[in-house]
Amino acid sequence: MQPILEVKNLTKKFNNFIAVDNISFCVNEGEVLGFLGPNGAGKTTTIQMLLGVMTPTSGTISYFGKQFEKYREEILKDVNYSSTYISLPAYFTVAECLQVFARLYEVPDKEKRIIKLLSEFEIERVKNKQFYMCSAGEKTTVLLVKAFLNYPKIILLDEPTASLDPDIAVRVRRFLKKEKKEYNTSMLFTSHNMAEVEEMSDRIIILNHGKIIDENTPEKLANRITQCFLELTIAKDAKKAEIFFKEKHIQYVQEKSRYRIALKEKDIASFLSDITKENIIYEAISIDKPDLEDYFLQAIGVNT
Amino acid sequence: MINFNRVFAMIYRYTINMRHSFDRITDMFYWPAMDILIWGLTSAYFLKNNPDQNHLQFAIIGGLVFWIVVWRAQYEVTTNLLAELWDKNIVNIFASPLKLSEWVTAFMLFGFIKTIISFSFSLFIAFLLYGFSIVPIGLFLFPIMVNLILSGWAAGFLVAGFLIRYGGTIQTLAWAGVYLIAPFSAVYYSLGTLPAWAQQVSHFLPTSYMFEGIRQLLFTGTMSSDKLLISFVLNIIYLSISLRFFFYMFNKSKKLGLGRLI
Repeated sequence: MQPILEVKNLTKKFNNFIAVDNISFCVNEGEVLGFLGPNGAGKTTTIQMLLGVMTPTSGTISYFGKQFEKYREEILKDVNYSSTYISLPAYFTVAECLQVFARLYEVPDKEKRIIKLLSEFEIERVKNKQFYMCSAGEKTTVLLVKAFLNYPKIILLDEPTASLDPDIAVRVRRFLKKEKKEYNTSMLFTSHNMAEVEEMSDRIIILNHGKIIDENTPEKLANRITQCFLELTIAKDAKKAEIFFKEKHIQYVQEKSRYRIALKEKDIASFLSDITKENIIYEAISIDKPDLEDYFLQAIGVNT
Repeated sequence: MINFNRVFAMIYRYTINMRHSFDRITDMFYWPAMDILIWGLTSAYFLKNNPDQNHLQFAIIGGLVFWIVVWRAQYEVTTNLLAELWDKNIVNIFASPLKLSEWVTAFMLFGFIKTIISFSFSLFIAFLLYGFSIVPIGLFLFPIMVNLILSGWAAGFLVAGFLIRYGGTIQTLAWAGVYLIAPFSAVYYSLGTLPAWAQQVSHFLPTSYMFEGIRQLLFTGTMSSDKLLISFVLNIIYLSISLRFFFYMFNKSKKLGLGRLI
């Protein structure tokens, strides 16, 4: 199957600084690709090149099997974008802002489409409000409405839910999922909210210093960390437990009566069975399983 | 191929911008009216003390009214470009299918309309206050206007090239840039008033031929068609160069990323 977006050997250099270093990836139809990376990893630079507002130093970008450089206008009719880092004309009403873009994208039934999207995002009330008068959350939502005006086949979302209240962020994620399901819309998604990326993405690319350092499904990435943390609260048998941990060479961190023990997930059952055999009674237990954030931090070299 | 739906989308954008901006309305009517009032009165004062210099007032008002055409044509290109930077909207519009040539066309069409409105208003004020009339200019008005608008666009796209490359840090150029050619254009005085070296510079400016011609028309009712032709040829050359320069600077700016301009 032809990918909706295909990037090959994309590189961006600013004098001697390499912002994006020879990256290749694709986004398939109906797929949500999460783009993760610390600040300065090259995410925004990549998105700018994918939108054609920055010229790559080398490499190729193709949408729908067509070279972006050659078929820019045709391609951009089916692409759209939203970011918290951009804005819309400050003194325009929300409806006027959206009218401009509906006209630029030659959207049929402009007025109807605008009203439908405003109502789906539950912000019809801001229709006649000037953009600069909108709250940060309303502005972000209006930018999302703009991004969906032209029924895009692929949408690039740079931090789409930043500055949104949790309840609105949930609504936005619900909308994105619905669009994906109804129209098979592909998405390239960046966010600092790991839980959101994990929830939304079918596949994740981790970018660091301009390079792709890993690529997989959120589950598989998280599963790369095999180590879990078992937390036991042991009050009565604390001495007995400590002797046992020393004998078995088990690493732990103690805080009052709480013991945090690093174990592989597969070894947890046998460990619990062993302490039971030793008659060590614990009052409380919790297992801290690694998630995408743990993997992300490990991948970019941050110790937790 | 230019898609006029997108051109009109941008014209719609700048029309709404004007409606919401007190600045954009006042600079269309208020400043021309003030200029005409002040310079008209100043020339009336000189005329009172030198009654034999009766052509003085019309020379100044005529220069002023027609200079508005050059200034306005330039100003509309540069300030509408700046509006996209001020509104952090440049990435939005170039992430859409809008082509650079369509943006340029929108600047020109919208600028043309505003120039005509501003010029007509200035003429009306000049007539109302001082009885200034362009009847002696007759049918020459059309080619003169074409030449002056082309000169304004040439200056506008040259300045726009710098703005798109260097952003708002040099935004003063947006309204002041064209004044660099004003002294050499002999807007209010004859070319002979300029020092010899400045006259040499003037020969390369399409505006100088037009302002000389306008004065000729106002005082003698005739104008050499050579002036129109030379001015037109120079305008075509300069406009082609400035458009090329603008496209070149836009692409240069894209290498650094348009996102940095917001």
